[in-house]
Amino acid sequence: MFLDRFSRKKPDTDLLVRKKDIRGLISLLSSQNPEDQASAVHALGTIGPDATGPLVLALKKKNRNLRLGVIGALAEIRDPTAVSSLVATIHDTSSEVRWQAAIALGEMGDPAALPAVLGALRDADKYVRYGAAVSLVKLGHKPADEAEWAWYFAGMQEWKKLAEIGTSAVIPLENLLLDKDSEVRIRAVKTLGEIGDRRAGPALIRSLGDENRQVRWEAVLASQKCGVDPLYLPRGLSRRPRLKKNPLIAGLLNFLLPGLGYGYLGKWWGVMIFQVDITFTVWLYKFSGEGNTYSVLFPIYLLLGLHAWYITNQMPEDPP
Amino acid sequence: MTLLQLSGSAVPDIDLLKKRGDIPAIIRLLGHTDPKIQWKAAEVLGTIGEKATLLLIDALHSPKGTVRLGAVEALGVIKDVRAVGPLIRILNRDPLIELKWAAALALGETGSSDAIPPLVCSLRDDNRYTRYGSAKALGNLGWRPDTGPDQIYYLIALQEWEQVRACGPAATGPLMDIFRDHDPATRSAIVTLMGEIGDTHSHIACPTALRDQDPSVRWKAVLASMNCGVSSNKLPLMLAGRQRSGPNPAGAALLNFLFLGQGYNYLGKWWGTLVFMTYMSIIVLAQLEMGPFLPFLIAYPFTAVVGVHTYYLAQRMNDLT
Repeated sequence: MFLDRFSRKKPDTDLLVRKKDIRGLISLLSSQNPEDQASAVHALGTIGPDATGPLVLALKKKNRNLRLGVIGALAEIRDPTAVSSLVATIHDTSSEVRWQAAIALGEMGDPAALPAVLGALRDADKYVRYGAAVSLVKLGHKPADEAEWAWYFAGMQEWKKLAEIGTSAVIPLENLLLDKDSEVRIRAVKTLGEIGDRRAGPALIRSLGDENRQVRWEAVLASQKCGVDPLYLPRGLSRRPRLKKNPLIAGLLNFLLPGLGYGYLGKWWGVMIFQVDITFTVWLYKFSGEGNTYSVLFPIYLLLGLHAWYITNQMPEDPP
Repeated sequence: MTLLQLSGSAVPDIDLLKKRGDIPAIIRLLGHTDPKIQWKAAEVLGTIGEKATLLLIDALHSPKGTVRLGAVEALGVIKDVRAVGPLIRILNRDPLIELKWAAALALGETGSSDAIPPLVCSLRDDNRYTRYGSAKALGNLGWRPDTGPDQIYYLIALQEWEQVRACGPAATGPLMDIFRDHDPATRSAIVTLMGEIGDTHSHIACPTALRDQDPSVRWKAVLASMNCGVSSNKLPLMLAGRQRSGPNPAGAALLNFLFLGQGYNYLGKWWGTLVFMTYMSIIVLAQLEMGPFLPFLIAYPFTAVVGVHTYYLAQRMNDLT
């Protein structure tokens, strides 16, 4: 695998298929080259159900690239015996693997996978949710009620449809407020505002403490449409993460390693002071001995530490 | 038990404190580390009514932001007119935005017409939360803007951009004023709006917007300037005068000249430290052979060339994005 990166020779997948070298093909699945990986996936697909057993075993491997390839190959083979193993991968720690699994379960076309795909609509990652929604269509699933439709539209990011559904869409939208992508959170907050359901209030107040500035502001506007008492809002805002530098750290760094405290504050000359100090200290040490060096330098270091602490305290806070 | 209370891990019984009438103890809980307890304390203080007013006004001087916030909230619920003066002081002077915002809302709850002039004044604040809170509070107090700048400031505070646009060139002055806002999204909206209004007076504002520290505001300003009678020939020069937030080219060059590698490190190259450590090791080894000064004499002409290169590298990083 490591040698793969150096050899430019294209692996002969056709030969491996003719020899029915399933293990050889599976090891190709972890290739860093997407073309080799894709041809191995396709080759395993042509071998068919004979490859299912070894592929299912390979799902347990640690290599993420390999697992992605294995799931792709299983989706091409469409052996129903692999469904239960694929269902397990939908809880993988890697969001890429979960996404691939959600797509694969749709490709398999087995209704036994439905509960797992429906569960993936509640995933924290937008790719997984989208893959699951597309798979539901492939599996021919029709949502039973408005709530299920809302989860589906949340996966598809169909904001208008979610707003039309109204109250039943509140819980899926609240789930989107936890997404890592701030664009998704902004759209979710806006849609909650359009729906205007009072029950969205607590979630919107939590969003006032969001790390993203625009999410916080949209949460103010949306909460007003949901009838939240504005008096509650400033407290929500006060819980936002503050990115202020710590004065104690700046002070301590500057005292122990003069200059690096300034470096911590983002001043380019911090590291320069540090280097000059080291050079100066070595010379002083050489010419005037240990006792003198420390008695001269200690008060200076103390002043530098206090200065870094003071200027950090004086730095204005980033406006909300 | 007392030890537990001191460490703040025990859950205090706020209702019991209320029954005992121990208002100062509840006010102290506004500064509790647990946000839920802060919230509950503020809520309970609101239900106590006018008995708590004077103590809450005292709490507005607390150095802790959460204590002041809880006190403002409670005063907003109690609606005692005695709190109007102290709340106006918070609105005008508090360093925390959420406090100003809360004070504006609380003033709106008091129903006192004394609060109207300061609230109208803070429609011109440089923070959108304060402006928004003031506009909402003024609405609560039954204040209706007359035609004129106050009305436009009011609409800007509520971010009713469509209605601001409808005001036409009259909106240019207030929009230019609120352009002080620290929030780039608000500044972007203002620049776009001024472009749409297309008042030739706003060409005065264009240079400021073109030199904005936020790239998206600058771009919106370029698009807007065409409508405001600014010759496109002048744009690049105006943009060149912007405050550059990227690395300092001279600083990077000096660092690499004196301490080869540290300049690269400053520019965000991971191998900068590696270069520096290698350079220093070579210098030290050479010093052992040739004495303290000769190695630097040999190294500096070389690092000077690297320094010049670093200068141009850093300058490119500062180009338009």
